[in-house]
Parts: sequence; structure tokens; C-alpha cells
Amino acid sequence: MIKILKSGVLLTIQDFGRVGYRHLGVSKAGSLDPFAQIIANRLLNNNDNDAVLEITVGLCELEFTCDTVIALHGADLQATLDGQIIYPGWTYAVKNKQVLSFATGRAGLRAYLAVKGGIQNTEVMGSKSTDLNACFGGIQGRALTTDDEIPITPYYGEFIKVGAIAPPQRKLIRLYPSPHANLLGKPLLDTFAATAFKVSTNSNRMGVRLEHNKNSLVHSHSLPSLGVSPGSIQLPPNGDPIVLLNDGQTTGGYPLLGTVIEADLHQFAQFRPLDTVEFKYVTFEEAAKAKQKLDGHLHQLSLALKNNL
Amino acid sequence: MKPTPHIYALTNSSLLFDASHLDAKDKLSIQKKIWALTNHCKSTDEFTDLVPAMNSLTLYLKSDKHLNKWLQVLPSLWDDIKSSTFKGQHHLIETTYNGEDINYVANYHNLSADEVINIHSKAKYHVLFLGFQPGFAYLHGLDEQLHTPRRDEPRVRVPKGSVAIGAAQTGIYPADTPGGWHIIGNTNTSLFDSTSAQPCLIQPGDTLEFVPLVNKGATHD
Repeated sequence: MIKILKSGVLLTIQDFGRVGYRHLGVSKAGSLDPFAQIIANRLLNNNDNDAVLEITVGLCELEFTCDTVIALHGADLQATLDGQIIYPGWTYAVKNKQVLSFATGRAGLRAYLAVKGGIQNTEVMGSKSTDLNACFGGIQGRALTTDDEIPITPYYGEFIKVGAIAPPQRKLIRLYPSPHANLLGKPLLDTFAATAFKVSTNSNRMGVRLEHNKNSLVHSHSLPSLGVSPGSIQLPPNGDPIVLLNDGQTTGGYPLLGTVIEADLHQFAQFRPLDTVEFKYVTFEEAAKAKQKLDGHLHQLSLALKNNL
Repeated sequence: MKPTPHIYALTNSSLLFDASHLDAKDKLSIQKKIWALTNHCKSTDEFTDLVPAMNSLTLYLKSDKHLNKWLQVLPSLWDDIKSSTFKGQHHLIETTYNGEDINYVANYHNLSADEVINIHSKAKYHVLFLGFQPGFAYLHGLDEQLHTPRRDEPRVRVPKGSVAIGAAQTGIYPADTPGGWHIIGNTNTSLFDSTSAQPCLIQPGDTLEFVPLVNKGATHD
């Protein structure tokens, strides 16, 4: 087990989330930075989809009540194990009774903690992820809190000390073209692509809200509801775009500025309030290439680990 | 020239089929074709998710490889598809009409509460699509006599099972949530249960009607 001594700002159990239920209004949930989840899991020779802890901001303390091996990835939130520094991207043995503490980071927002064998909470609708809005999955459908006990399988076997680097952080986010280009008009889309936005403090797992000091994106269009998904960028009439993330709803009536490409969406897991974000429209070919490059990074990691393990 | 649906590739693995501009007057007929199209696409097993919304369908592909094929075939599929190929289930929603806003709605329309109940429970509603939260159905068919502007101040918590009216729509809240609609009644029918093999009672394209329960607080399944 892992016992929560202090839950910090937001601590949840996540995996890749739910697919196949969007027509029923069920969100994806799941790790906002799935690549951090994948890398942390691969370092432990886990399955990519094994459940991990998503740690937002930090400031939490976890006590292990059995031996295991852990790997952290994503933001560096200054973790220590009984006072010893734990670096993201490396594997560490943990003994019964040891305490893993997170301070907070200077860059990035979310860290992912994988344990050998994955977190063993019950699967709901095909996923162990916590749906914070609909209140199911994870542990009782909620964020973890003090005294919660998270089931894990003890591990006393061998492990190899290995490390992996993350794909680079970007501030220039690439996106697919808008399906509502005719409605919104080219001048508005050009302005959008030329604007440096600030991440609003009012952002969460449902979406990252973006602010800017021009009123050039204000509009008065309203649309019949249409399907939206993580990566859809909505433009409400007030002109402040919203990048929908994993907990976002399944339909919406705001015009879409476009969709963040698959290779860049995970970047939104790590933006902090007041960070600057800019956008660049790319072609479908460029989006496919960027995804291949990211997949290549993960594939190389797998090869390197295979040679080590 | 007859207007045609707009079809957009949203990403390398998702498409938006938009028929919302085709017939402003008969949105239900368009929606029936959307359900039939959804059903057809589902049978191909090439999609992870198929999300009907208001006279549109968003299609999420399992593989990038099939994007161009679907961009090409969707227009002719739409021309050929018959709405009669889809048949939804009919649900009876047993409802206790004792919501705290029922008298407000009645007064607003110069009706008695019994007349509101009668009009609301007489209609057959179509589940256009689901969204907003798991199991929340956007229903078509609310009698114009009951169209009521939303509350000036949304409630912080509308209890699970509330049957409510907001503008031209009526609906059932599957879980506790904030909401600005007028509560006219409540039902014990469970609309969403994540632990059930079929988590949602109601699917897009189903029909339902509200069956008034006479005894206040009567228990039923």
C-alpha cells in the first residue's frame, strides 16, 4: 500500500483514461501528460497503461507500507525519499516505511509517479482513472486525501537503475486548422495565431483557459452543440480561448479555433498559470510527422531499456 | 441547389460531419438520419468513439489510415442512408411532479400545476444526444406552452433525478450538479451508474415519456 500522509494540491490516480463512452457524455479523464506516464512505466518494465499517481504542484507526502520500485517523470517537483533527492527519469528502490515527499517545482506543474506493477485500484468502465466531475473511478471517484491507502503489489525482486530523458518542452503549440474558419474569418484566425497568450489561474484538468489583453477575438457566434475532445480549442464570445483537456465535456456550442496536434497536447499538462503560450497552424502532414517523431523518441527509449533490462 | 453537409477533418484521426445548416425547421428529421449514420459507422468497427450532437456527428477513428476513405464516403452515405434503419428503445420515466419550481412554471404560463403535469407527461420525447455530464440527455419535444426562460440565478446544487425545464428544453439530471433550469419533479430512475455493465440507461436516438406518480414520495424501481 501507499498511505497518503499529506495530499497536497491535487493528487489523483490516472491511466490512459476511458474510450468508447463519449456518446454517453463520459469524459476521457486519464493522465494529462500520457508520455510522462509511459516513460515512468517503461522504466519499471510496466505496461504503458498501468495506473500512476498524477501529482499537481506537489506539497504531498506518501508513505510506503511495503517494498517496491518507483519511477518519477514529468515536472521536477523536488521529491525526496527519507530526505534523499529523487530525480525524475530514474528508478529507485523503496523500502517499507519510507516516506516520499514532494516540495514544489520551478518549472512544470505535474509529476507522474509509477510503482512496480502499477497501482491496483478497481477498474471502472475500462479504466482506473479518476473522473473528478462525474465522481467515479480512482478511489471513490475523488482526489486522494490524507489517510487514503492506495493498493499496490509489493515487489522485492531485482531492478536496474536506468534513466530516460523527456521529450522537450515547447511554448509554441502546433494545431490543426479550424473547422469554423469561414464563420470566424481569416482576420480573427490570423490574430489568434499572432497573439501571445497567458495561462489563466482559472485552468484545471477540464481545460486551460488563455488570456490576452486585446479584445480582437471577441465574437457573437453561437453554434448548435457539436462533439469536442481533449485538444479542441474553443473560442467563447468573450474572446479568451479554452484548450479542452481530458476532463472536458464531450459536446459544446462554441466555435473551434482548431485542435492541438497529438504530439503537443501533453505540453498543457505542464503549463503553469501566467506561462506564455503561442500557437501555429500546421498541415495534416506536419502533424503526422511530429507524432512520428515523438513515437520515435519512445521507441528509442524502449530499445535502450531492452538492452539494459 | 440542395445544401450538402460540411465534412471536416479535425485531426489525422477524427472528422466532423456537420448537417446543422441543412434544415432549420426540421431538426428532428435530420437527427434521425444522424442516428442512422452513427449506427452504420458503428457497425464498421473502425471508430473508438462516435459522438452525435445537434445535427452533427463527430467521428474518432482507431487508425489514421482510414481518414481519407471516410472523408470520401460520408457524403454518399448520407445521401443513401434511411432514418428508418435506426430504432431506439422507449423508456418510461416514473416522475413525482412535486419540484420546487412547478408553481413558478405554472404561474409563468397562467396554467395550473396539474395542467403543467398533463402537458409535460403527455409528450413523447426524443433523445437527440447526450452531453454535459454522463447520462444527461438533450431531449426534443417539449410543448411550446412550457418553454420557460432559465432561472436568473442558477442553483448551486440540483439534486440527482431532478426533472427540469430550461428555455425550450426539458431534461433529467443524472447526478447532483449546479444548474439553472426550473425543477418540476424528480425520478428514482437511475440514468447513470458507472458500475453497471451498461452504465447509461438512455442512448442517443431513444425515446421516452414521463409517467406521473400520484403519491408523493412513492417508492418504485
